[in-house]
Formats: sequence, structure tokens, C-alpha cells
Amino acid sequence: MDPESYLYIIGTVFFLSGAIVSLSPVPRTKTFIYLLSFLGALCFLTFSLHLLFSPPQDLFSIPVSSFFEFAFRGDPLSGFFILVISLLASAVSIYSIGYAKDLKHQGLMGFLFNLFILSMFAVVLSGNVFTFLVSWETMSMVSYFLVTFDRDETSAKAGLIYAVMTHMGTAFIIVLFLILYKETGSMNFAEMKTHSAQIPDLLKHVIFVFSMIGFGTKAGIVPLHTWLPRAHPTAPSNISALMSGVMIKTGIYGFIRVVLDITGTGPEWWGIAVITIGAVSSVLGILYALMEHDIKRLLAYSSVENIGIILLGIGASMTFRSHGLFALSAIALTASLCHTLNHALFKGLLFLGSGSVMHAVHTRNMEEMGGLIKSMPYTGLFFLIGSVSICALPPFNGFVSEWMTYQSLLLGFESPSIVSKIVSPLGGAALALTGALAAACFVKAFGISFLGMPRSRHAGEARESSPFMTTAMGILAILCLLFGIFPGLVIRLASPVSFPLTGSTGLVSGLGFLRIDGSSTAISPAAILITMAVMLSATLVFFLALRRKRKTVYADSWDCGIPALTPRMQYTATAFSKPIRLIFKNIYLPRRDLKVSYLVKPFFVRSIRYSGEITPFFERYIYEPATGFIQRVAGKVRLLQSGSLHLYLGYILITLILLLLFGT
Amino acid sequence: MKNWIHVFSVIDFISAGILLTAVAMNALRRLESCVKAYSLNSWLLSLLVAMTALVVGETHLYIASLVTFLSKGVIIPVFLRRIVKQMKVTHEVEPYISNAMSLTISGILVAIVYGSLKQGIFVTGFSRNVLQISIAVIFIGLFIMITRKKAITQVIGLLFMENGLFLAGFSLTYGMPTLIELGVLFDMLMGVIILGIFAIQIKRVFASADLDKLTTLKG
Repeated sequence: MDPESYLYIIGTVFFLSGAIVSLSPVPRTKTFIYLLSFLGALCFLTFSLHLLFSPPQDLFSIPVSSFFEFAFRGDPLSGFFILVISLLASAVSIYSIGYAKDLKHQGLMGFLFNLFILSMFAVVLSGNVFTFLVSWETMSMVSYFLVTFDRDETSAKAGLIYAVMTHMGTAFIIVLFLILYKETGSMNFAEMKTHSAQIPDLLKHVIFVFSMIGFGTKAGIVPLHTWLPRAHPTAPSNISALMSGVMIKTGIYGFIRVVLDITGTGPEWWGIAVITIGAVSSVLGILYALMEHDIKRLLAYSSVENIGIILLGIGASMTFRSHGLFALSAIALTASLCHTLNHALFKGLLFLGSGSVMHAVHTRNMEEMGGLIKSMPYTGLFFLIGSVSICALPPFNGFVSEWMTYQSLLLGFESPSIVSKIVSPLGGAALALTGALAAACFVKAFGISFLGMPRSRHAGEARESSPFMTTAMGILAILCLLFGIFPGLVIRLASPVSFPLTGSTGLVSGLGFLRIDGSSTAISPAAILITMAVMLSATLVFFLALRRKRKTVYADSWDCGIPALTPRMQYTATAFSKPIRLIFKNIYLPRRDLKVSYLVKPFFVRSIRYSGEITPFFERYIYEPATGFIQRVAGKVRLLQSGSLHLYLGYILITLILLLLFGT
Repeated sequence: MKNWIHVFSVIDFISAGILLTAVAMNALRRLESCVKAYSLNSWLLSLLVAMTALVVGETHLYIASLVTFLSKGVIIPVFLRRIVKQMKVTHEVEPYISNAMSLTISGILVAIVYGSLKQGIFVTGFSRNVLQISIAVIFIGLFIMITRKKAITQVIGLLFMENGLFLAGFSLTYGMPTLIELGVLFDMLMGVIILGIFAIQIKRVFASADLDKLTTLKG
């Protein structure tokens, strides 16, 4: 065993001791908890690099019974996801030192925090079905307790919805693993893979559909996304960052593991289905995000969008693979893996930023923020970097991975089948639409929250958050920039994963540029950065030269003659998103309600009440009928449970008589 | 010498008596009568065991008979009578359905048992009816528990079921080992005492001994 292999043991010990220390009653240890989880995350970060560049290896196993054992196994795929998790977890640990000070149940938070990160590592390192399901459920349960951490009514409801959805997903996952076990005769992922050729085609389709539903629920694809905008906002912000940044990625991991790794090459319609779901998720996710005024709900919907983008890449990869275009398949998979990493970084950064903002303003409603960039300059700057990254603007990291996804979708022209020739460019079109809407969405998120005048007393009194919190955000912001300028770094981390899965690399990348193999398409973010810098400074020099002749006069903004500017004159979040609400009214189905009461009709108005909302389509037309049906059936069943002792005895009598009559 | 037992089908007569006392429970209106029916049932049971002991000549069956008589025939009825006395307000049985209906259903139950156990197992072979009767008594006991409101009638129904079980075990195996019999009897005694206390407590807390009132306890 290599010395590097001991790193995960040390890391695990760090996390476990962090969890134990948090339960100790000594209050001084609170900083120490997150220091331990930071160190643990660093250990796993190093370990992940070791895994990425070495062949698959069994780590260790503990037999539980003759049939079940806890077995852990590492390969480049799990290594990559450990890298994603540990990068974000280390930053969030630093953040939590400052953030957790004001929480109510600090010890509990530390305990769950450590356990949560550790359970995510366990999920991606699981080597057999039993270990995977135990880790998966541990992760779900711990995150349930974190969602309901505030212990109020909204978080209880969000937690319930989350628990129901995630368990429904787990049910599908269990069934698909049972099918795999029955067909391959092994509970072990590695052995399943070697025997996967035995699986009949029909069952392969079932496995694909079930893993789409099961892992898709955790990842938050449309229409299984409804738990995300509820659960992520109610959790404390450091947890939202982890949930949205990395926990939903374990769904992506599971999908890649089961469909791409174990089941192998599928028919063309699998890829087409994934592209379609990805396109729908990304467009609808960002459309719903645009309508949110709750900053964390907005970010949660944006996670749905980004999962969609990741799935677009995976779907393109699957389509190419089914046609034997391995180089293109590798490009698409690398693109989606890069986006997985990048999304973890900038979504983590944005959630941490929203946590800092909430910490200062005590609300999640953007309509009560405003002007925060003056009182919270660092948070503002880092939030801006996160927003620019998520909008896929150069020179930040979101640009690189979305560009790659886009290219791979457009290269769908090269596939021999007419269906994928049509569908994959359409997916590219959806991605382009998504990118534009994401830009609008984050102009709104940043502009309404940070610019202009404070819209509430709290927003006016906001203070910059603690240095731990800004440091953590700073680290993530720097990583966003770094991976944006030097995409070769990320691609080198992702290609050991996509190579064994597709048998090709497909991308040629230097440190500061990347080129798609066998085509003339290439890009260099570093060159873009230099160009931008040159253009910006040229413009600046030009204007300075122009202005030198004139005298600058400073005055207040023009206020239309009204004595003073008030925050109410500002553009609101609702108003900002109005044009988009009008354009997409067939999707939003907006309802508006205007109530005017008059003193003298129609000239003198006493009051006007305006309320508008968009129809939550999936809740109203899918989930509400479904829950209504279940409740009606349950109400009928409930009659059996009347509480009458006599009735229960009657059941026994009837059972006995039936047994007597038909038992022999 | 013991031919008279076979000649006059004594064992069949006694077991018929056991069935009749159980069926009679359905027609009784007063709690005291129910207790009496139970004592009679237990006496007949112990007599049946004694007769079998005469035929077979096993010592432990005599012991079983004696212990059954003392516990089920004397101690438990005395205890039940005291409970009934403590429940001052009414001594009515208060069934959910009419006595006629109750008797009819008991009849149907007995018919079902006889119909379905036609090819029953007869290890002992001394009577063709004891197993059917024992199962029928179990069913009637359960039926009484279902249709009567008062907690004390639940206890009596349960005791009938136990007698039926005892008889079933006895008819199949010549009685279980003495130690097990004693254990079961002790359990019964404790059960009756605890249930009796519960019945009185229910009466005190809910101002009624009807189990209907307990439905408010469900979640």
C-alpha cells in the first residue's frame, strides 16, 4: 500500500474527531471543530489527486455478515468527485468558523457538518451496493437534520418534502441495484462491471430509467427538482453551499457510475433522453430562478439549471458513445465533469455570499437589500465574481466548461444518426438560451442586492462579515478565476476520468488554451483575459485623455424635482424580471390580482392592492394531484384503524375463521 | 372397571356441557351470571380432566384436574365476583348486538368449526368431539370479547378462550407437562388480577367501564 493511501484514514480520523469534539460541552472548542474538518478536507484533497493518477484500488473492507461487507474502493471517477467535495468542503470549513458562531445549536451543527462531509466521501468511495446504500442514506438523513436545523414550521415542511423525495429516489436506486445483482450475480461494483454484458437489453433500459429517476431526484432534474428550492434555502448557508455545491453532485456521480461505468454503452435514445432532460432542466431552472426574490431560492433554482447543463454534457457523451465516436464522447464527458467542479466552486461561493448577506441583513428577500456593496465591499466583490462565473463570462471558470459543453453539442452534427443530428444542436440552443437568461438572473441577483440604495433599515446598517467568512469566499473566488484562465488544470484533472470511460481523450490542452482534437475549434481564456485587459486599459486611457480638458462637477442624481431620492424609486426585483415574465408567459402562467377601492369612483383612489404570482406548474399539476390522491387513499385505509378495541378483536376473529376455512 | 365412561360417553357429555356453558354466555344479561357460567365451565373442564385421568391412569392428570378446579373454578370466579361488586352502577352486560343475534352467530361459529375440522387430528382418540368443541369455545370467547362493552366481560371472554385452549391442548396431547400447566395457570391468575385492576381504574378515570371511551386515546 502506498503511503498516500493512508491519507484517507487520517482524513476520516479528523472528521470523526471533529464530530466527537462538537458534542463535548466545552464551549471553547467551537473553532477547533471546523479546523479539524478543514484539515480532514485537505487530507482528502491530496488523496483525490493520488486516486486520479493511479489505477483503481481496493481501499479496505470490513465484513458485517457472511453476505454484507463494508467495502471501499477508489478509482479516478471517485477521485474526481472527492476532489470536488474536498475543495468546497475546505473552503466551507473556514467559512463556518465565522458563520457558526451565531447559530443556536453550535455543537449539533459541528457534529452534523463533519458527518455530512464524511458521508459524501463515503458515497463516492463505496465499492459495493451495501456500502453505497448505507452511505447514501446516512448522507440523506444527516442532510435532513441540517435542512430542519432551524426547527420552525417552514423548515419542517421543507424537510418533510426533502425526506419523501429522497426516499422515493432511494427506492428506485435499491431496485436498480437488485436488478444488477440478480443479473450479474455480484454486489461488487467492479465485478458488476465485468459481468454487465450478461444483462438483457430490456433490463438495461429499466436500469437506465430507474437510475435517471433515482439519482435524478438527488441531483434535482426537472420535474423531480421541487425539493431543492425548499430544502436548500432553509438550511444554514454553509450547509446550503455544501448541499447545492456538492451533495446534488453525488446524484451525478451515481448516474455516471451506474450508467456509464457499470452498464456501459447504451442505445442512442439514452443519450437523447438525457440531453432532453438536461435541456428542459436548464431552461426551466433558470426561468424559475429569474422569478425568485428570495436570494437562496434563486440560487437553488440556478442549481437545477446547472445540473441540466451537466446532464447536457453527459447526454452528448452517451450519444456519441453509442455511435462509436469516442473522441467526441470524451470531450463531452470532460466538459460535464469540468462543469461539475466549476459549479461546485461558484455555487458554493454564491451561497456563502448569500449567507454573509443574510447574516448582515437578516432576510433572504432581495427586495429588502440594496446598497450592500458599500458596507460589505469584500462580500460584494466575491459575490460579483461568483455571479460572473455562473453567467459563463470569460475569464472565469463557468465560461470554459459551458463553452466545451456547447462545442460538444454542436459537434453532434458529426454523428451518423439523424435524430442526434437534430437533438444535440437543439440542446446547444437551449444552452445558449440558458446562458443569456442566467446573465439576466444574476444581473438581477447582484444588482438588486448590492447596488443602489438600501431598501430597509437592516440593509442600511449592514456590516462586513468576519474575516474567516470573507477569506473562504476569497479562496473560492480565486479558484474560479484560476480555473477560468488556466482551463488546462481542470481538464488534466478530468481526463483521467473520461479516458477509461470513453477510451479517448479528445482534447488537447495546454495550460492556458484548449483545442478540440481533429477540429479547428480552439480557445484560450488566457488570451481572452489579456485582450480584455488591453481593451479595458485602452478605453480607460482614451477616456482619461478626453476628460483631462474638462472640469468634473459632482452633484446629486436628478430626482425629477421631488425633494429627496428614496429607495422606493429604485428598480425592484419584480420590475426587473417583468419583461421576461411577459415573454415567457406561456410557461409561467402568471396571475395578477388588482384590487382598487375608491373614495369617489373613478377619480379618487383610496387604496390599491396589487399581487402577482407565477403558477408553480409542477407543484400544481403533478405533485398536488398526486399527494391528494395518496391522502384520499390513506384516509380510506385509516378507517381500519378506528381505535376501537372491539374492532381489532373482530379482525382477529375474522382472520382466525378464514385461516380455519382456507388454511388447510 | 372404567367401562362405564365409554359406555355412557361421559367425556362427550362433559365436553358438550363445556360448549353449552360457553354458548350460554351469549344469552346472559347479568355480570354475575357470566361469572357463574365461567365457574361452571371451569368445573366441567376439571371434571373432564379427572375422567380422562381415570381412563388413562396418569398421576399428573389428577394434579392438573385439581389445580384447574382450584384456580379457574374457585379463585378466579371469587375474584371476578369481587370486581363486579365494586362496579356499583350497573351489572348489565351491555352487548352491542341483541342476544338472539349473538346466539345465532355463535351457532354459525360452531357450525364453521365443525364443518372445517371434520378430518381433525385425534391423537387421544377418546372422543370425536373434544377438539371441535375446544376450538368453538375459543371462537365464542373471542366473539364475546368483541361484542361486549364492559372491560370485565373482555376478561371473561379471554378466560373462556383460555379454557378452550387448555381443552385443545389436552385433547391433542393428554395434557401438557404439569410444570407448563402450572405456569399457564399462574399467568392467567396474574392476568385476571391485572385486568381486574385495569377495569376498575378505567371505571374510575372515565366514569364508565365501557371500552368505547378508550377510542379517544388513539393518535
